Amino acid sequence: MEARISVRRGFLFPPYVFLLFPAVAFMLLMYAYPFLASVARSLIDNQGNLSFANYAKTWDLYLKDVIFTFGVTIFSTLVTALLSILLAVYLRFGNSPISRILAGLYKLPIFIPFVVVAQMMRSFLAPHGLLNVALAKLGLISIDYPLQLLNFSGLSFGFIWKMVPFTVLIVHGGFQMIDNSYIEAARSAGATLFKVITRILIPMSKSSILVALVLVYSQIVGTFTLPYMLIGGKIPTTITVDIAHRVNYFRDFGVANTLGVFSYLLVLVTALYYLRSTVKKIAETAPAEA
Amino acid sequence: MQKGKKFFDQLLVFLVVIGLVLVGGQKEGRTVERVKLIYMTAGDVNMLALGQNVIGPQFSKKYPHVSVMTIHTGPGNAGSQRIFEKVLAESESKKKTWDVDVAMIHQIFLKWAMEKNLLMPYAKDIGTWKYITSPFAKSSLGVKVEGYVMPMFHSQTTLAYNPDHVKAPPKSYDELVEWVKKNPKKFGYNGIKGGMSGVSFTVGWVYWKTGKYKKYAVTGPFEKSEVASWEPAFKDLEAFNKNVTFTAGNVGTLDALNRGEIWMGPVWVDMFFTFMNEGKMDPKMRMVLPEPGMPGQPMYFVIPRKTAHPEEAKKFIEFVTSPAIQAKEIVQRFNWYPGIDGSHLKGSIPQEIFDKIYADVTPQDLSKKGRAFPLANYFDAILESYEKWIR
Repeated sequence: MEARISVRRGFLFPPYVFLLFPAVAFMLLMYAYPFLASVARSLIDNQGNLSFANYAKTWDLYLKDVIFTFGVTIFSTLVTALLSILLAVYLRFGNSPISRILAGLYKLPIFIPFVVVAQMMRSFLAPHGLLNVALAKLGLISIDYPLQLLNFSGLSFGFIWKMVPFTVLIVHGGFQMIDNSYIEAARSAGATLFKVITRILIPMSKSSILVALVLVYSQIVGTFTLPYMLIGGKIPTTITVDIAHRVNYFRDFGVANTLGVFSYLLVLVTALYYLRSTVKKIAETAPAEA
Repeated sequence: MQKGKKFFDQLLVFLVVIGLVLVGGQKEGRTVERVKLIYMTAGDVNMLALGQNVIGPQFSKKYPHVSVMTIHTGPGNAGSQRIFEKVLAESESKKKTWDVDVAMIHQIFLKWAMEKNLLMPYAKDIGTWKYITSPFAKSSLGVKVEGYVMPMFHSQTTLAYNPDHVKAPPKSYDELVEWVKKNPKKFGYNGIKGGMSGVSFTVGWVYWKTGKYKKYAVTGPFEKSEVASWEPAFKDLEAFNKNVTFTAGNVGTLDALNRGEIWMGPVWVDMFFTFMNEGKMDPKMRMVLPEPGMPGQPMYFVIPRKTAHPEEAKKFIEFVTSPAIQAKEIVQRFNWYPGIDGSHLKGSIPQEIFDKIYADVTPQDLSKKGRAFPLANYFDAILESYEKWIR
């Protein structure tokens, strides 16, 4: 009952709503307008007519790249999730000097820009790069037949290397908030470490894990430097590389915007989920507050 | 409160000082007519170094009232495009004079800029025009540009190879295909999205397969039926690609060659020599320009139509295209082929440099097998066909 009143009050436009104006205007101008303009321009062909020509061309030439981008993104996000949960668990329970050093060390990649990561990966993963040479010295591979890593696996490796620390930061924060008494109670009832992770830690910090993964996912979809510098000339490559190609070689903003729309669609799935879970949380907490 | 007042006092003093400095500077400017020449350059970072550390200061030394401000926009067509957008925006703003005085751009820029009438015809007014013999100064990707451009240098793509592994380098695309069959994964290039050396190799492939270099790059006209006829050529390239290693960009090819990952690959001559000079490339590496040839391209000086300083801009270009600077900086320091006719440089370049630069790819090779990139429409079609037929 009370909740309903508070909702109705929202529709009366009290004067302080105008305080929102600068923020909302900024959002509309800097985010909503470019987004809508980009969708609109994807529907205009190079003669200036309304058509789906750009979509036909994108479908014909770049569908494989859209699928590739989606594959790399999903794979990297899932592996990132797995590794970061494991590392966060270790940091949550570990109390040795090693875990303390690790807790400081793991944050480093967060501060390294993608372009630097790309340059590092390019020489680290190359056929005669550091990794292959090291493996060859250990006798695990022959340097004449090195691991070919400038492809799906190398790209995913780069993304995971860069993204795991960021995710750990958020997930570990979530784990820290869980009171020890829950874990101790479970332990005294005979729960194994695996049970504690899957039945207590993960469910209780589900929302922070998912928020972290949504951010990781959308950042991977939109990253240009790493794929460009690792697999820029390969087939297939990522959507971002194709966008740069259309603009730099053809000045073709129509197809470039269409590719952009495809990447919005990829991100939209997670954005919708994120919004829904935020709205749900507000709905859950609203009556209690009122 | 007190603190805030103090801050405003300081701000006031600061503004007054700034004002005085600016007004003072202007007064001084009026007496000696100081000119700041805005020079915008596309290209790799070496282009920035050239402007900022070499030709800018040297020009100011000769003309002390002119200082050159070099602005670098980035490599490849993207860099030229940023310059185009700047000049186009100035033209659309209907300003009386434009900011950019001189620009250094790639071929594709000229197609865009000539369509919009953004450039000044200046080349025939300056003293070094008589040294220009290159056909690239007359037309660029099929666009008539004579009088609007001065080539600063010419660069060429060739195949670089490792003589330890390649005893008899392929002299033609035919022989290259055979060589790749025998040495799978030892030829590397960067596709068409990773930089121009890969694009150049692909364009050379189409010239070889079709034998229509003249029509595609010189005479035209553009016909859609030609594009449809390329399918077998690209299907062959697709099969060829199965046995090659894809490298990560122009630099990626050079690195892979140096590390021994590949034994052969298409490179830009100037980058190849620069890598060697900087110790990033094994000096034993060699080059060969295969039949029927591979493309090269110049970079050009242009002057935007409404520059505020046309005379200084012309002087600047005249200075850089003079035989002395061409020999010392363009050829010797940066390892490009000169923009002006090479015969005017004889004697100004030490014999050993001349021999090094022209050892594997001779001037005869260059004139016989140095190709131009195709006309803009064919160029677009070649790039798009690559994406269409090579999966």
